[in-house]
Amino acid sequence: MTRYIVKRLTAAIITLLIIISVVFILVRQMPIEGYFDNFDKLDASVIRARLVQMGLTDPLPTQLKRFLLNLLRGDLGTSSRYSVGVPIGRILLTKIPISLQLGLSSMALSLLMGVPLGVAMARSQTRYKARFWDAIGTVFIVFINAVPAAVYHIYLQAFGSRALNTSMLFSREQPLTWVLPIVSMSLGSTAYYAMWLRRYMVDELNKDYVALAQAKGVTNQKVLARHVFRNAFVPMIQYLPTSLLYTISGSIYVESLYSIPGMGGLLVDVIRRQDNPMVQILVIIYSCIGVVGLLLGDMLMVAIDPRISFAKKAGAR
Amino acid sequence: MMQRENNPVLSVRDLVVEFELRGQTLTAVRGASLELYGGESLAIVGESGSGKSVLVKSLMGMLDKNGRIAGGSITYDGRDLTRFTTEREWLTIRGREIAMVMQDPMTSLNPLKTIGEQIGEAIALHQNLRGTAKRDAIHGMIKDVGISDPLGRAKQYPHEFSGGMRQRVVIAIAMACRPKILICDEPTTALDVTIQAQILELIKTLQRRYNLTVIYITHDLGVVARVADRVAVMYAGEVVEQGTTEEVFFEPAHPYTWALLSSLPQLGRKGEMLYAIEGTPPSLFETIKGDAFAPRNTRALRIDALYAPPSFQITPTHSAKTWLLDPLAPKIEPPEVIRRLKG
Repeated sequence: MTRYIVKRLTAAIITLLIIISVVFILVRQMPIEGYFDNFDKLDASVIRARLVQMGLTDPLPTQLKRFLLNLLRGDLGTSSRYSVGVPIGRILLTKIPISLQLGLSSMALSLLMGVPLGVAMARSQTRYKARFWDAIGTVFIVFINAVPAAVYHIYLQAFGSRALNTSMLFSREQPLTWVLPIVSMSLGSTAYYAMWLRRYMVDELNKDYVALAQAKGVTNQKVLARHVFRNAFVPMIQYLPTSLLYTISGSIYVESLYSIPGMGGLLVDVIRRQDNPMVQILVIIYSCIGVVGLLLGDMLMVAIDPRISFAKKAGAR
Repeated sequence: MMQRENNPVLSVRDLVVEFELRGQTLTAVRGASLELYGGESLAIVGESGSGKSVLVKSLMGMLDKNGRIAGGSITYDGRDLTRFTTEREWLTIRGREIAMVMQDPMTSLNPLKTIGEQIGEAIALHQNLRGTAKRDAIHGMIKDVGISDPLGRAKQYPHEFSGGMRQRVVIAIAMACRPKILICDEPTTALDVTIQAQILELIKTLQRRYNLTVIYITHDLGVVARVADRVAVMYAGEVVEQGTTEEVFFEPAHPYTWALLSSLPQLGRKGEMLYAIEGTPPSLFETIKGDAFAPRNTRALRIDALYAPPSFQITPTHSAKTWLLDPLAPKIEPPEVIRRLKG
């Protein structure tokens, strides 16, 4: 197990190094306007002087080495156009906590609603002609998947703010204004968790070991809790770390709808404004999330499912 | 092995089990009657779809959700199980009185729980043991079913066991419930031949040790000959013939039993075509008029198409549902293969 983790970690680090290098080299191919906030007004000699000063005329390997060393020291560089001269680290530090708080709350909420809904839907499958929850849940899931998110987000904002008697826009100081964006962001994943949990639980319910557990005299309630739910949750657990990490990226649509100063839309923004240093950092952050999320997911699976083992097969059988 | 008591421990009378299937009603068990005597081994034989699995599932209240008992009675310990409506009532039977070993050991264990946990679940429920006493009982149970190194094995997961070993674990789980009746639903079908014999031997040993009553469901007549004291033959949801193994094998009375035995390869003669029963079983979606086997029976009487035969008692232990046993019936000889069995 330890050897497996070390192996996977090494692979992850190598993957990240490759990603960083590729992103860095690609961004270097971007027009040099991206390094200046007032490119049009500068004359050629000033531009050259500034490029030399920023080290952008050095050979690529030297630049890459410097960039990596800076990253290791925690220096992410400075924004060139989005917010001129401000260290990127500081920009992110004002934005990430907001998205993270909203994102984690909405993820907790969707687990809190999606898991019981999925269980209730699967449970109603065990009873003949008593499919109330399955019907309710199916309507909800189909609605969420079929109706464009923009539509129900807007309705929720309009009617929700009236019902709660709050402002339509987000304000850090007023906790009540947090409610609607959190609910909005959680709806999609609630439907997702409910749908997959139902599906995996129904799969498990039809397996023989459930019948054997029943034949032992275990109550249906306990069969569901001890056998079915746990086994059905295993395939879902792999994706939890990734979802958890991605909460820092915020939701583009919900954040713009409620004017939330979070991470959502930041990448689009800096690409549009050609802020090369920021584009570079954000792309690298998102790919790190992908790599680390998968790694954590795989490790969770190994910890939870005894059938998956990366150690050499011992002489069992 | 047969300790025949006067009263059966379990008796099924005219049981009817129906399933609701896409708006249609399928009658899987059509008035089956059966007695089970303490300490015996009863084999229920019949082809796929004859209702043998459904019959035993209804003994434990484990019919699929679209199934229901539509008539008849199941008497166990003075109670009519068909009247049970709640899970709580069934929990007084499941495991505690009747336990089950299922067909496929590869799928009947929870892949994410250790063998020890799964056996322990039954022990905690039915033997009320906790802590070290429970752990000792788990190890004892594992040893009882012939698995060595119980301490190490208890911590392993099902995927670390072979098919035969898993079936032993399933048996250990069933036995950990300390049941009076053990239902073995095709316990050896999924196993290879050498393992089959070992598993049957194991069940027989446990039966002797714990004074169990065992119901085998099988379509393997070889298994029947090996383990059963009595045999019930099912066809189209009915028990068409019931008797001691000797009676059913050597003096079968029902044309379906004749046909079933005739199709045994062991009874065929070299150079002759192996016998196969013509046609297919009747559709259980429709009401069956007369004798269900009549359309496939070359020796059918005219009355077979009109009225369902009652059960005729041949000896105190042997009965069959066929008009051939009626005093007014013409004398019809069983096929030659069957007559040879008698001689």
